Amino acid sequence: MEHKKIVTVKIDGHEVQAERGTPIIKLAAKLGIYIPTLCHHDFVEPYGSCRVCSVELRRGKRRRLVTACNYPAQDGEEIYTDTEWVRENRRLILELLLARCPEVPVIKEMAAAYGVTETRFEKLYSDCINCGLCVRICSEVVGANAIGWAGRGVNREVTTPFEIDPQSCIGCGACAAVCPTGRIRIEPLWAIKEGEPREFTLGPSSAIYIPTYQAVPKVPVIDPEACIHFKTGGCQICARVCEPRAIDHNQEERLEEFEVGQILVATGYELFNPAVMKQYGYGRLDDVYTSLEMEYMFNSSGPTNGRILMKNGEPPRSIGIIHCVGSRDAHHHPYCSRICCMYALKFAHLIKDRSEADVYQFYIDMRAFGKGYEEFFTRILDEGVNVIRGRVAEVIKASPDKAREGKLLIRCEDTLVHRFREIPVDMVILCSAIEPQKDAEHLQRLFSLSRSPDGFFLEKHPKLDPTATPTDGVYIAGCCQGPKDIPDTVAQASSAAARILANIAKGVVEVAPIVAYIDSEICAGCRLCLQVCPYGAIEYLEEKGISQVNEALCKGCGTCASACPSGASTQRHFRDEQIWAEIEGLLLNPR
Amino acid sequence: MKKLKVEDLPKIKEKRLKETELSETGPFRARIVVHLGTCGLSAGAQSTLEAFESQVAQHPEARAYILKCGCGGFCAREPMVQIEVVGMEPVTYVELKPRDVKTIFESHVLRGEVVEAKRLPPDEKFFARQHFLVLRHRGKIDPENIEDYIAQDGYSALARVLTSMSPEQVIAEVKASGLRGRGGGGFPTGIKWETCRQAGEERKEERFVICNADEGDPGAYMDRSVIESDPHAVIEGMIIGAYAVGSHQGYIYIRKEYPIALEKLNIALAQAREYGLLGEDILGTGFNFDIEVHRGAGAFVCGESTALMASLEGRAGIPRAKYIHTVEYGLWNKPSCLNNVETWANIPIIINKGASWFTLIGTGDVTNNPWGGSKGTKVFSLTGKVKNTGLIEVPMGITLREIIFDIGGGIPGGKKFKTVQTGGPSGGFLPESLLDLPVDFDSLTEAGSMMGSGGMIVGDEDTCMVDMAKYFIHFLLEESCGKCVPCREGLRAMHSILERITRGQGKEEDIEALQDLSKVMMQASLCALGQSAPNPVLTAIRYFRNEYEAHIRDKKCPAGVCPDLYEMTIVPELCPGCMVCARYCPTGAISGEKKKPHQINRSKCIKCNVCYSLCKFNAIKKI
Repeated sequence: MEHKKIVTVKIDGHEVQAERGTPIIKLAAKLGIYIPTLCHHDFVEPYGSCRVCSVELRRGKRRRLVTACNYPAQDGEEIYTDTEWVRENRRLILELLLARCPEVPVIKEMAAAYGVTETRFEKLYSDCINCGLCVRICSEVVGANAIGWAGRGVNREVTTPFEIDPQSCIGCGACAAVCPTGRIRIEPLWAIKEGEPREFTLGPSSAIYIPTYQAVPKVPVIDPEACIHFKTGGCQICARVCEPRAIDHNQEERLEEFEVGQILVATGYELFNPAVMKQYGYGRLDDVYTSLEMEYMFNSSGPTNGRILMKNGEPPRSIGIIHCVGSRDAHHHPYCSRICCMYALKFAHLIKDRSEADVYQFYIDMRAFGKGYEEFFTRILDEGVNVIRGRVAEVIKASPDKAREGKLLIRCEDTLVHRFREIPVDMVILCSAIEPQKDAEHLQRLFSLSRSPDGFFLEKHPKLDPTATPTDGVYIAGCCQGPKDIPDTVAQASSAAARILANIAKGVVEVAPIVAYIDSEICAGCRLCLQVCPYGAIEYLEEKGISQVNEALCKGCGTCASACPSGASTQRHFRDEQIWAEIEGLLLNPR
Repeated sequence: MKKLKVEDLPKIKEKRLKETELSETGPFRARIVVHLGTCGLSAGAQSTLEAFESQVAQHPEARAYILKCGCGGFCAREPMVQIEVVGMEPVTYVELKPRDVKTIFESHVLRGEVVEAKRLPPDEKFFARQHFLVLRHRGKIDPENIEDYIAQDGYSALARVLTSMSPEQVIAEVKASGLRGRGGGGFPTGIKWETCRQAGEERKEERFVICNADEGDPGAYMDRSVIESDPHAVIEGMIIGAYAVGSHQGYIYIRKEYPIALEKLNIALAQAREYGLLGEDILGTGFNFDIEVHRGAGAFVCGESTALMASLEGRAGIPRAKYIHTVEYGLWNKPSCLNNVETWANIPIIINKGASWFTLIGTGDVTNNPWGGSKGTKVFSLTGKVKNTGLIEVPMGITLREIIFDIGGGIPGGKKFKTVQTGGPSGGFLPESLLDLPVDFDSLTEAGSMMGSGGMIVGDEDTCMVDMAKYFIHFLLEESCGKCVPCREGLRAMHSILERITRGQGKEEDIEALQDLSKVMMQASLCALGQSAPNPVLTAIRYFRNEYEAHIRDKKCPAGVCPDLYEMTIVPELCPGCMVCARYCPTGAISGEKKKPHQINRSKCIKCNVCYSLCKFNAIKKI
């Protein structure tokens, strides 16, 4: 038999060429012709069970109906996708499906589109059309084989082996994603539905996701804990649909070494976890959030699309914003976190803008230090935000009779009217302190930095040199040096960058001649000098077994010289002999 | 046992014929052929056999031996035995109970006197028009002895093929014979083999030959009979087919519900291997081929070719679209040649007697169009309301009337013929007006039925056409694989409509609904089960519409079958008051005194029909 590799087929009168054996539905799609289906999906092999995609095939005088999803194109054939025969056949199939699943929306819609609104046949009231998409995706794509078929004929149904929870299910949700009737459901993490409690989470909705919409670089990442491929070896649909073929599941972490002359440390901050302040109820009471969580909620690409909603999905009637949570606090951080007052005012403004809620602001001092900041504060007052000067003692659940106005109660002192107050609110926002990151000590050792008493990295001089550190070549910028807002961060970072560029432009580093020097003959490699050097200027040479001073970093403090037990480390211009000579000279001339 | 070479076959034939011939001077002068097919065994043939064995043992002077054969064909009159004594014509005895055996043995075998009372008349019409090709060895071989088969020229066709014919020549011969698939599809066998071979050669892939012995049609047992009685005919056919197609591995898919056939098949296969007719270097010609037996698990749908292959592969027996033919991509995606048991059994005799000889039997002209005729014979299982139920083999082209009234002996009990159903659940009901249609692949299809695999069920005036259609739909409902919407949902809908109609809840729109359902099932189902499922219903409506209308409009079942749609009544003038019906009525619905006409209390009557069957005066009527 002669079989041509490329065949010519006519669909609805339009000619199209394709590889022999391509299913008609693909060719029709190329021509922009839509053929309805129920059991078909691009990610799985064609199945041919619903028969909805049946189209008319004519070859010579023969006419018959074939399923477009899997009929292989043959040369010289003509296909008609919308004749009266095709439509009448589809109507009957839909009438049968309507009898099986009279309440399923997708069936009702498709049937109505063909004019079928009632069925003459006995109704089964099922919510499953036996399309098998769930079974096929779990088997062909995911590779978990957690659900399958049981029974035969009218009793054929989709179920798990022995109808118990399958151990092989990895909870990927692929079955729910392809189910056309909604019979298989995976509850979304934040459903905007009245009356049903939902979990609030900052998590992404799929295993491959773009971290945030302002991420730099804006590329997706794959979470290997959630990704199906790492569990079963299957799926990889993301790689299939990526046109530039940019997805590679085989990437691995690499350690890379760079030789650099200068380092800029900009490792940022962490938000204080207010759960330790039990009186505020964070983590215990519903609808008590940190500022960062609220930021996520305000974001129009966040879980609520920017709407302000409580955990139960309803909008709050009133919101309390508490300043200085963890800051200016003898028990936690004595410093002021600098940015909270302004963003708290911003929250108040957004809340007033987007909702009907009342806003109560609980502050100690309003720190509106920057350009236009004080004016913004005045504007907020004009918007009707209630500012109350006083610390909040606690946040408690309102008793049932008080819950009419707000389910939480903020108990505080209002120092301006000299009263204790209880303010009922539905939601509380805690302006958490900015604190150094938990690995600050580790970083400190790595880069030979110092830290100020508040835990942030120490600058060389608070007024005259806030971006350099005592260690030459290492600079700091941003919140790792201390709480600051965006304009200040940008200024500091630019300054550090400029310093670095200037050094690079100079091309040489001037070094003071008063540096330490280790005699390689005497040095035993005990490395005591390394431990005491505050500037990380001493290097241990493995192969030689001795220590060596990096003269570019050495500040000539002399600590290593005094610590060295063997006298191998000496300070140029301050050698023991020189000092003895000075002392002798002084003693010889007592005046 | 030494493996045979080609030249050994005639020697074994001669030896065996000598061993079993009847003569005055030789070891045997009498042969007692006992038919031990499933039908015979169900009728008690085992006890009859043991009685004969006892007689033979008691009378060694009779020099009689017993040949344990397969099916005798005349299932209505089993147990069946043929006795041949040297110098006498062979005589067939029917309905032989063990108590008859001693008399017959002493009379016929010892004294040479035929016992007329138990004899089947030589002019018995049942056998008159039959033509045994597939069943050629009926009554001549013990299926558990391969040498009996060889003695009847068994495996001589294979020897000829392996030594003097090329695969292409074999294919040409089968094509020229006009043999068409006996499983119901009627596809020209030679073309199927040719396509399979070509696909295998082109892709340089191994091929498989498969025998479909799933035989799921209710009332059909042709394939069972062939395998029970003559398994080597199938095996030889398969080896020849494998040689033609270029296959070295074959499969027989046999349904689980045929234990005796399976037993005989396994014995035959073991003997074939022992004698070097299967396995490596068959008959010393260098050709390798073996057969594996695979048992079904109770699914009618596994008779469908793609479902059968899925089942062989170990997957669920669910059909797939046949746009890609299994002969090109079949078992494990390799070219596979699937044929019915009866088709395979035809092959050895076509090879031995030649294609042109075969074309002399049957109808039509296959010279230019392989689909143009129906050559050869067809085995049918004739069952239902007919006197001579049994397994028959007739030349294609014989009419339904001849089968039912000549071979079948007509309708028992003086009842009137109503319908004949052919082709099982895929076939249709034909009325009396079409009784002169010839039985072949094409004539019945035009009338809305089909010849099918050979099931033939006769119905009389007591057969309800709605109930019969409901029966077949119910069967298919249980057997449908459930994958596609038209079949699964369509059968469910059809069944519920027919159920309502038989309960007297039929509506005017129901007939049109049944026809719409038939339309969508025939044109949109995935496999032939769904596509042919409406045939019984459609033909029933086409030819017996008045019965459907009576059920729907008048709420009456004219045949008196649907319990809600008729009443039992006693005609007072005919009732002599014998009290028999009243005694046996399970609900006490019949009242009446001795010698006075009885009455049936309709509210208590459950339509069990016991009274109806007992009344010797025909006084009970269904109205």
